[in-house]
Amino acid sequence: MALTVSGVSKTFAASDGGSVHALDDVSLEVREGEFVSIIGPSGCGKSTLFQIIGGLLTADRGDVQVNGRALNGAPRDIGMVFQEESTFPWRTVLDNVAFPLELAGLGKGEREDKARHFIRLVGLDGFERKFPDELSGGMRQRTAIARTLAFQPSILLMDEPFASLDEQTRILLGDKILQIWRELKQTTLLITHNITEAVQLSDRVAVMTYRPGRIKRVIEIDLPRPRSSEIIASAEFGRYVGLLWQDLREEATRGMADSERKAG
Amino acid sequence: MAGRALNPAGVPALRIATLVGLWAAWEAAARTGLFYEGVVPSSLLVLQSMARHVVDPVFYSHAWRSIYEIGLGFALGTGIGMVGGIALGAHAFSNKAAAPYIHGLASTPKIVFLPILMLLFGAGPGSKIGMGAFSAFFPMVIAIAAGMGEINPVHVRVARSFNASTWQIVRKVYLPSLVEPAITGMRLGLGVAIIGVLLAEIKFSDRGLGHLAIQHYNFFRVADMYAVLLLTFSLAVLANGLMSRVGTALVRRKAPA
Repeated sequence: MALTVSGVSKTFAASDGGSVHALDDVSLEVREGEFVSIIGPSGCGKSTLFQIIGGLLTADRGDVQVNGRALNGAPRDIGMVFQEESTFPWRTVLDNVAFPLELAGLGKGEREDKARHFIRLVGLDGFERKFPDELSGGMRQRTAIARTLAFQPSILLMDEPFASLDEQTRILLGDKILQIWRELKQTTLLITHNITEAVQLSDRVAVMTYRPGRIKRVIEIDLPRPRSSEIIASAEFGRYVGLLWQDLREEATRGMADSERKAG
Repeated sequence: MAGRALNPAGVPALRIATLVGLWAAWEAAARTGLFYEGVVPSSLLVLQSMARHVVDPVFYSHAWRSIYEIGLGFALGTGIGMVGGIALGAHAFSNKAAAPYIHGLASTPKIVFLPILMLLFGAGPGSKIGMGAFSAFFPMVIAIAAGMGEINPVHVRVARSFNASTWQIVRKVYLPSLVEPAITGMRLGLGVAIIGVLLAEIKFSDRGLGHLAIQHYNFFRVADMYAVLLLTFSLAVLANGLMSRVGTALVRRKAPA
């Protein structure tokens, strides 16, 4: 299924009485089966966009469509993976992953069979009966991804799912994500601030500006598929990282100056 | 931390020593006749009276009445406190509006409301159950309303992203997240429910452990009175121990650090 974001704007009231123009006329299309990343500096409104696409926030203007149909308040089938620790600590891996199926009213046997399938897909078989506090951070985030996949969404939407993990784990999990993506042919939109991650995974990368958040440029990543993380060593990979950084540097500099001014 | 490491075996030993010391002081006070005769009876007399009580069916009719009143009052009070706490915690505005009343009432000795409860529910078990419920309600509603603030908002967002209904969010996110505050509320609630019911029985009733103790007092059967108090104390300790068991069984997992 294709995802269309058209003309989305959002302004928040700030705590100092002013307002923050978080998003300004953001438009983007993710084609059926495509992997697209949105990259931007901290504070550029990425997470606001994530919540608007997922339906947890409403836009001031513009709308979000799946296959040409606007989502205004209707039950969504966009699967969200959150940046924060989001597994339920009182549920085992199996019960965490079965959660969306439980909400949908599936019987115990059926939902556990399905949950096991997605647990295998993220490579956590053997850990079904473990609780989140018995797993590493990467395993917990994979549990969260399996849980969202079990929802069987038409669009997979991820907000910096590996932000709290170390670089090497993140690169290896990137391989895992690509493997799952190939298997499910899932339309995917990833929000990140990590340039390597964006190039490693995406068909296209959209660069966002710092405040108000706009789409500055969309860059096609013309690297061969299927990809593995070994591609990081290639000259082409380095060229894309450099290209993105050129675009991002100005935005990140503005973001940093802004936060330093606030701190001072 | 500086200082000596605690010897884990030393704690129970100290507890036993304290108990033996207290008993020796009691016995010494009884035998020297330092106090007015009968105020401090010999521990032997108290023990004999306890033995008489535990084989006496009359004692059990009093004990069962108290257990019934405490149990029902506790269940009603904590149940209503749970629902009220969730409702308050879910609405920041009403929580703010109600907080001064709840905290004010919570720190008021509930016994001042006994006359009202007797008017409402009569002089029998009804007013005692009312006292138990009224007492147990406050620790629970306060613990749950505070616990609602500790619920991880990401867990709620996850449920919403899967199109969970409000009732599903309450059942599958709120309730499991509230197990710990609920246990705190229940433990505090049980203590004040016992106090409330026994006080009400002492004030005005025809049965119950509080009534039995005050009857012994009225007829100056001091050793019997102590025996009933000790038996009541044992029951309270037993109930609290049971509650802790239930608590540890319910709290299976904490959030990963």
